[in-house]
Amino acid sequence: MASALSESRISVDHIPVKLIIAGPFGVGKTTMVSALSEIKPLNTEEVLTQAGTLVDDLTGVNEKTTTTTAIDFGRLTLPGVVLYLFGAPGQTRFQVLWEELARGALGVLVLADTRRIDDSFAVLDLVENAGIRYAVAVNHFPDSPDYPDEALRQALDLDPRTPLLVCDARDPASARASLIALVEHIKELMVS
Amino acid sequence: MTSGRQRRRVVPDFMAAAKLAVPEQINVERTTLVYVAPEVVSDALDPPGVHLVNLLKEGPLSVYECAAHLGLPYCVVRLLVAGLAASGTLLTRDPPRAEGPDLEILELVLSGLRAL
Repeated sequence: MASALSESRISVDHIPVKLIIAGPFGVGKTTMVSALSEIKPLNTEEVLTQAGTLVDDLTGVNEKTTTTTAIDFGRLTLPGVVLYLFGAPGQTRFQVLWEELARGALGVLVLADTRRIDDSFAVLDLVENAGIRYAVAVNHFPDSPDYPDEALRQALDLDPRTPLLVCDARDPASARASLIALVEHIKELMVS
Repeated sequence: MTSGRQRRRVVPDFMAAAKLAVPEQINVERTTLVYVAPEVVSDALDPPGVHLVNLLKEGPLSVYECAAHLGLPYCVVRLLVAGLAASGTLLTRDPPRAEGPDLEILELVLSGLRAL
């Protein structure tokens, strides 16, 4: 707790802004949150209640009423605003969590891995269902195959206006460049 | 990576907010900033409330950070904050409520990221 207490605090005149980094398991969400965050990334238990699903869904699993998961969380203080970065799981069973998390969020950076591009479909579905603005960043691994942009766009069924970037989630500068591209895209959508 | 849940608790997590009167309408969410109201005496609070007030004496934190530092689930800390805010112990700053992003905020984020 001592290290936690000595960590820098923000002042209340900062506007809290929520950004989501989403992607399938193992794509590099935690890595990117770490690369961007000024604090050691935190996580806490999320309790996903079954509220909103049919009671019938619990048939046979009576003793199991909740599912837990954890979201990685980081913070980046900028002049006037404080960015809260959430690394959110991409499986469709987290729909309820997504609806809540997406509320008030500025946008989503969807991380994809070209070695298993189909893992990203569920995430993109969640993001689109949440009606939230997003950009896609391919986290480049050493053995990632290089596909032309067009092929990737087609595979992911992306709108021509949606930014498609390549990044290195470990590199703070690269991670920041992806966020900048996302925010620029959101701004373009707003002013157009 | 820090996880607040490495030990087994004797008192269940949900007890943290059990004795508090929590308002029906809760606006507190993950990125709500929480800070201690001036001249608050935390002696009358239950242990989780005392821990939270002590944690916040250094300065404001988001609800999510509070949860991680206290090692309690977010949903419990959300209620704890809502209850303590209703009783005047804590003050909160809610994130912008607007449906879409605000252009002014976008500009702040962009210029801030570019300046890093």
